[in-house]
Amino acid sequence: MKQDYFSANNIKYIDYKDVEILKKFLNPNGKIVSHKRTSVTSKNQRALASAVKRARFLGLLPFVVK
Amino acid sequence: MLKAENEEKNEMDENGNSRIYELGYLLVPTVPGEDVPAVFGNLKELVSSLGGVVISDEMPKMMPLAYAMVKITANVCNKFKTAYFGWTKFAMDSDKVSELKKKLDLNPNFIRFLIIKTVKENTIAAKRFVRGEMRRRPRADKNSESGTTVPINKDEIDKEIDALVAT
Repeated sequence: MKQDYFSANNIKYIDYKDVEILKKFLNPNGKIVSHKRTSVTSKNQRALASAVKRARFLGLLPFVVK
Repeated sequence: MLKAENEEKNEMDENGNSRIYELGYLLVPTVPGEDVPAVFGNLKELVSSLGGVVISDEMPKMMPLAYAMVKITANVCNKFKTAYFGWTKFAMDSDKVSELKKKLDLNPNFIRFLIIKTVKENTIAAKRFVRGEMRRRPRADKNSESGTTVPINKDEIDKEIDALVAT
């Protein structure tokens, strides 16, 4: 059983500006990787999704990679 | 429960009404490089004029956008592929934030901005520290291993030679 990435690295607040971390949870098309594959806790997965969406709005991450 | 209480304390200031917010924004790339600090200063003044206390911030930096953004100014459609991205973290009265938003909406220098609720702690530095630590550890291990293995090898070779001589 793989451990949650954020608790393993002692990250309490998932920041939308930290693009390097958020990129780990995107698939090659730029979609958010599912809860099942990331093995992140439900709470962190929700925070992760909102952080990715904020980063997308401000042009730090793409909506789609063609 | 304790954690939740601590988080609430972070969000709520002594006054009870003020919260921690973060404003992330994209400035129009047509702003000349020398004027960026002035725009940044004006923004800080605007936050403090509405009773906000700036906690931390970062100077707007030129960066490529992940996709082209469109902004309509004076009935002209402008497409941007680069922008200055900056952010400011501040404590402000929850009633004043909507006023701040209204003022920023009228500012022609912004392509987009985003106001979010956040926590007082620095959210970026902690992560960088973790990453740095992860990188350093294997290097240190390799050095210590190479340092200690050399004398052990010599001893082992001596013993082996002795054993061969004895036989």
